[in-house]
Amino acid sequence: MLEIRNLTKSFGRGATSVTALSEVTFPIAEGEFFTLLGPSGCGKTTLLRLIAGFEPPSGGQLVLDGRDIARLPPNKRPVNTVFQNYALFPHMTVAENVGFALGAQGRPRSEIAATVERMLALVQLGHLAHRKSGELSGGQQQRVALARALAPKPRILLLDEPLSALDMKLRKDMQVELKRLQQETGLTFIFVTHDQEEALTMSDRIAVMNGGRIQQIATPRELYDQPANRFVASFIGESNFLDATCARGRLVLSQAAGPLPVSHPDGPVTLMVRPEHVVLGSARGGGLTLAARVERLVYFGTDTHVHLLLADGARMVARVQNALRGGAPCAEDDVIEVTLPTDALRLLPKEAG
Amino acid sequence: MATDAETLSIRADTRRRWVLALPAVTIITLFSILPLGVVVAYSFLTPGDYGNVKWIISFEGWFHVLFERDIFDDTVSLSDAHLTIVVRSVLLSLATTGITLVLGVPTAWFIATRPQRQRAFWLFLITIPFWTNLLVRTIAVQEMIRSDGIVNRLLLWLGLIDAPIQMMFTNFAILLGMAYVFLPLMVLPVYAAIERFDFRLAEAGYDLYASRLYCLRKVVLPQVKAGIIAGSILVFVPSLGAYVTPRIMGGGTTLMLGNLIETQFGQGRDWPLGAALSLTLTALVLVALVWYTRLTTRERRDG
Amino acid sequence: MVERGFDIRRLPGAATLAIACFVILYIPMVILVVNSLNGGQSISLWEGVSLRWYAVALQNEGFLNAAKTSLILATTAALVATVTATMAALATTRSRGFRGEGAINLILNQPLMVPEIVLAIALLIILAQIKQATGYMGLGYLVVAHSAFCIPFAYMPIRARLQGMDLTLETAAADLYASRFYTFRKVTLPLLAPAILAGFMLAFVVSLDDVVISEFLKSPGQDTLPTYLLGQLKRNLTSEIYAISSLLLLISVLIVAGSWLLTRKKT
Repeated sequence: MLEIRNLTKSFGRGATSVTALSEVTFPIAEGEFFTLLGPSGCGKTTLLRLIAGFEPPSGGQLVLDGRDIARLPPNKRPVNTVFQNYALFPHMTVAENVGFALGAQGRPRSEIAATVERMLALVQLGHLAHRKSGELSGGQQQRVALARALAPKPRILLLDEPLSALDMKLRKDMQVELKRLQQETGLTFIFVTHDQEEALTMSDRIAVMNGGRIQQIATPRELYDQPANRFVASFIGESNFLDATCARGRLVLSQAAGPLPVSHPDGPVTLMVRPEHVVLGSARGGGLTLAARVERLVYFGTDTHVHLLLADGARMVARVQNALRGGAPCAEDDVIEVTLPTDALRLLPKEAG
Repeated sequence: MATDAETLSIRADTRRRWVLALPAVTIITLFSILPLGVVVAYSFLTPGDYGNVKWIISFEGWFHVLFERDIFDDTVSLSDAHLTIVVRSVLLSLATTGITLVLGVPTAWFIATRPQRQRAFWLFLITIPFWTNLLVRTIAVQEMIRSDGIVNRLLLWLGLIDAPIQMMFTNFAILLGMAYVFLPLMVLPVYAAIERFDFRLAEAGYDLYASRLYCLRKVVLPQVKAGIIAGSILVFVPSLGAYVTPRIMGGGTTLMLGNLIETQFGQGRDWPLGAALSLTLTALVLVALVWYTRLTTRERRDG
Repeated sequence: MVERGFDIRRLPGAATLAIACFVILYIPMVILVVNSLNGGQSISLWEGVSLRWYAVALQNEGFLNAAKTSLILATTAALVATVTATMAALATTRSRGFRGEGAINLILNQPLMVPEIVLAIALLIILAQIKQATGYMGLGYLVVAHSAFCIPFAYMPIRARLQGMDLTLETAAADLYASRFYTFRKVTLPLLAPAILAGFMLAFVVSLDDVVISEFLKSPGQDTLPTYLLGQLKRNLTSEIYAISSLLLLISVLIVAGSWLLTRKKT
């Protein structure tokens, strides 16, 4: 329903101009919980602000239901925002905040009152309708901000890091709450965050951004299992990267005992494997076997991180689940054999530098 | 091109802002800036026979700010009368600033270190004189020190003096009056600066083996200096241009620049000289202001 | 337990000087008020407490006219100054900088940079000629002059408030379908109201306090309270002068207390 086409935004002019977003193109489907994920300065907030209409784009189109809205002012777009600092109007009550959009649209009082009541019930804040917004806790303000943005029934709800100001416990509760609201209303959510865990647990699809460009758009599981490049792999979860080469259908890793048959064009590649997939000793399905020295053991409760030093000085980490009995799987300074199972290996394009 | 559209919208925004600011800008331009321009023009004209000016260009007005010409032999000498008044104005203003500093800074410190709830009360006590008419406050000081005012009567009653001391119409009277009326102007900005100071920093200083004095000098002073400078400027500038207080406290004999300027604009007096003196006073004030802004902007750059 | 002497807040001597400062500030004003309550004919002889001089003042035509002029003048000038200053503050804030911003700020602060006596003389030169040319002798001259030097005082608090205002509030309003005007009316203006009120009161008091400019620009018989008082001072000191001064003092106390209560309620 929303088509983002070649959307570009640069700030400043001439030599000092900075491109915050470059040629971004992708669709968002009706009823989707879509997340923009990336480090700060990656362009995710810029993209959100372009969709909301707070900034004019430097180029490209935003086609919503077949109509280009890229150059409409924010008050003419059927899109509402939940702001990072909530931006509740401090001089109004909770009810006045929630009813603001309907008032601005000139709807009759009775309709406004009914909608406000329904919205406050939806976020379970009916009892606070006549409080001033400054008298609310962070979590309550968050709910008011949600109700306020949902009240005018937007086509898309934009959420700009809405949970970042909350403490850990409240954040977890609100994650569940947000997901429930999205499923109940069936609304399209575009959610901006730099927190990968938040993105993985809540989203239908995630767009990982860096340097003003989309790195990969996929479901949470695909992103984790099949990262498109080194940036996505390192931004989401933890990863080991090793330099390798493909030659005539074989993967050659200098430290490994023998090559592995693969179907990949020839050339240098980056080999990626998640720490929890590294096996100490030999693995049943086979894979790359290498010798390593245990540098350090770090105990994490549920598991232990084994820091390994390979023959050529490269380092990697294996994550081993802690057994009920038996203590550590190996000792520091042991020289052991580790296996990288075939199905856990990912070949990523080798990046310069 | 989209960037052209952006340029257009920036232009429209700038135009809208200028239109909004226009009424205020117009009023000030017409009734504050333009008149000052006329004063500049007048300072280069020839005095008229009955006051006002003749439209003949002349530098005599500026010349007479510092010099006088003997009417018989045309010899030029420094104008003692004008110099005395300029020097007196600057010295009295500096002294006023000094007195208000000595009284005002500890007061500001005292208020800022009261518990939150008491602070409002003490501030209230400072703001009342601040908002009270300057003339009324000058009358109040005058009442204190006039010949049969309370101070003289008290001294007589105590037997310390035999006859009332003549305090009114002296430099002392002007100084006392100005220090009294401008004191709140010193307290408020200094208070604001101290109030913003985070006293945990002083504790950190103590923790790092600083003595009380060292701590005040190295930790507190740099942070409240801006407020002290602001207070000094707020006192010094109106002192320099003071007119009402010197007129009442100094009488007709002991004058400051403001009064000297006024007398030049009477019937048959030298308007170009008055204009030149006005601009001299304005220049002195601007020097103080420029010094202040340079000091504070450097402060901001360093900090 | 921390030793008392360790607390930097307790500077030796500061409290003493501070109390001295308050005493010095208040004794003259208290004595002024006491003198105004003197029932005697002469200011040098105390003849018991009485409100007699207040009654004299309140029946004095000259004083009443001056009070009326002052009130009209201060109200009009403060209104003009506040409205124009509010517009100007809206123009110079919430922007990434625009061409002429510095110039506007410089112009709006210009009256603060010129000594009052110089501005008075400058206006006198111009307005005297306009008076001669047009024959109009009304209050208009004082109104425009007062408006001009009151603008910076109204401009300061309003601008400060706008600079401190959360910009996302207006963005949020626009996001919620509010037009520019609706946003201004429902969001910006209510949030700005306390500052506008503060600016108005500051401008009002500054206009009410002015002696020099009014004294130079007034037409004959057109006294404000301060110029009336100044005129009376040229003659003998009387208890009536003290009564009038005390009334002005009372107005200040009321204004300060009023603004105090207003800000109290807000926070």
